[in-house]
Amino acid sequence: MLLKSTLKLLNNPVNRLLINRINSFNYGTVTSSINLDFLKRDKTSKAMKAYLERAQQHDEFMKTQNEEFKIGKRHLANMMGEDPVIYEDQEKIDEAISYLMPSALYDKRARPMMKPPEKIFPERKAAEFDETGRAHHFLFYTSKPNFFQLLYDAVEHLNGLNKFEDNMTRQQKSVDPALRLELSGSEWINQDQLELKLVENIQPVEYRYFVNVMNRLIEHPYSFRVKDFIDIYRRPLMNQTIILDIPKPHIDKDGKSFITVYECLRKKARGDVTVRFPGSGKILINGQDVTYFEYDQSREQILFPLIFTEMLDKVDIEANVEGGGPSGQAGAIRWGIAMGLRSFVDADVVEKMRYAGLLQRDYRRRERKKPGQEGARRKFTWKKR
Amino acid sequence: MLRNILQFTKFSRASPTILANNYSQYEPHFINPVFKKDEQEALIKSGEISKIAFVPIKAPRNNDNSSVFHDHRVSKMVNYIMQGGKKELARKLMSETFERIKRIQIERYHKAQTEEEKENIVLNPVTILHMAIENVRPILMVTPVRRGGVKYQVPVPISEQSSYYRACKWLVEASREHDRKTHLPEKMAFELLDAANNSGRVVKRKHDLHRLCEANRAYAHYRWS
Repeated sequence: MLLKSTLKLLNNPVNRLLINRINSFNYGTVTSSINLDFLKRDKTSKAMKAYLERAQQHDEFMKTQNEEFKIGKRHLANMMGEDPVIYEDQEKIDEAISYLMPSALYDKRARPMMKPPEKIFPERKAAEFDETGRAHHFLFYTSKPNFFQLLYDAVEHLNGLNKFEDNMTRQQKSVDPALRLELSGSEWINQDQLELKLVENIQPVEYRYFVNVMNRLIEHPYSFRVKDFIDIYRRPLMNQTIILDIPKPHIDKDGKSFITVYECLRKKARGDVTVRFPGSGKILINGQDVTYFEYDQSREQILFPLIFTEMLDKVDIEANVEGGGPSGQAGAIRWGIAMGLRSFVDADVVEKMRYAGLLQRDYRRRERKKPGQEGARRKFTWKKR
Repeated sequence: MLRNILQFTKFSRASPTILANNYSQYEPHFINPVFKKDEQEALIKSGEISKIAFVPIKAPRNNDNSSVFHDHRVSKMVNYIMQGGKKELARKLMSETFERIKRIQIERYHKAQTEEEKENIVLNPVTILHMAIENVRPILMVTPVRRGGVKYQVPVPISEQSSYYRACKWLVEASREHDRKTHLPEKMAFELLDAANNSGRVVKRKHDLHRLCEANRAYAHYRWS
């Protein structure tokens, strides 16, 4: 019965073409228009008809958008008085837009932009069913086939690993600890990224299911066997460019090398720090020595990076700070000194400084007072009556 | 498979939802810094440092530093002494306490007749603080549990962290308790020396608590039933 109907379907050339198309791009935007003539002749399901109409509308819309984008690029080239060819490059377009329409809006997405329409309008799913209305995917009726397919795959992998583990225990082999997955440098992609990846809306609860299932997978001793699958859904935790990008010191007129670190921030304090090498351990803060700070704790903070790198008597420090209180100012200078010292110490010492957290900027600020409360956290005294 | 069966029969409950601390400025994957040189060395030796090679690390706090004079317990103790955010005053009181302990111990040292006696006298006040805290740490405490309208004092074991907290708090409370004419450093020096010697009021307080737990051991099963 099933075979017959499929054969019948395949005999129709238009249908064959359509089936091919639908199978070929399961997820993604439909880019070319589809001939709707056969709708009159064939018995196509209502769902398919609706879909095809929607797809055609979308295609036409995208087509006009693409045209407009092309013309827009030419206009841009005219306005900037340049060759239109260079505006094939998206970076050049962004540059021109920010020049022509400067914006001080905080959110980058709120500023004027000009991007290819595919980037602006979200991807749509292609048809998930054929023209008789039968779904392609066995999880179609969950309404989130991609998401549940992911969970299904994860459990499938887990079962496979269990089987493998049983086999191994039967052969009395144990896991090589060196092969264990090292995942401390990455984390699961967040909900938004997962939604983009699956082209489906996901509830927080479902995201939690995803994290739980995947965590169970990586806890398995043989999880390294499905590393490829796991890696698709992980993202690295840290951008290392900040740490690797160590500036070269300048040379002043006395022949000493120096580095100036600007924008040293902590709480409300702002300042800049200059580290000179070689030096003799002189410290100048706003024209005074360490006694600029009244409290011991603040003085200790200034010396912290110097003691840690053992450069206390090898460099000179000059700092200007304003704003905030003593501990904020000390914290700002501490960060500046640590950042400046990177240029004068070995790479492994820089790494150790990172482990000590000295290269991390402390973004913590005073927590605001809340209405209906006495302070940031403290509540008013409460009486029942 | 066996591992899984064990896992699921023993702890067959849904894994709890992990809620991020809404107030933290750092993302949840940030870890605490290792700012002490010897601690870092230990990490490098054990090879655990490779685990945090790509993990972002929080900045050390204002009262942290890598100097030899920095001690975790001492800075914690300063925080317990502190009132109304006056940290500088708290630090001053702490260092005054240490000075007094040092003077008392040196006096004892010089009064001691034999070499053996001299050797037994601890001169480092920080070591004395550590000894005092270790001696005062409780291992059990009682929590009230309501059963059938009656409140029972049920003995429960306490975590290491909370035992340290209790020890420090008792020491500070004992130092504050006395007549208002004696200053905190004076009183605290005596309390610390007493506790380090495994005697005194705070150690007694610990024993009292343990005795109470012992007396209520019949109710211990209320902890889980």
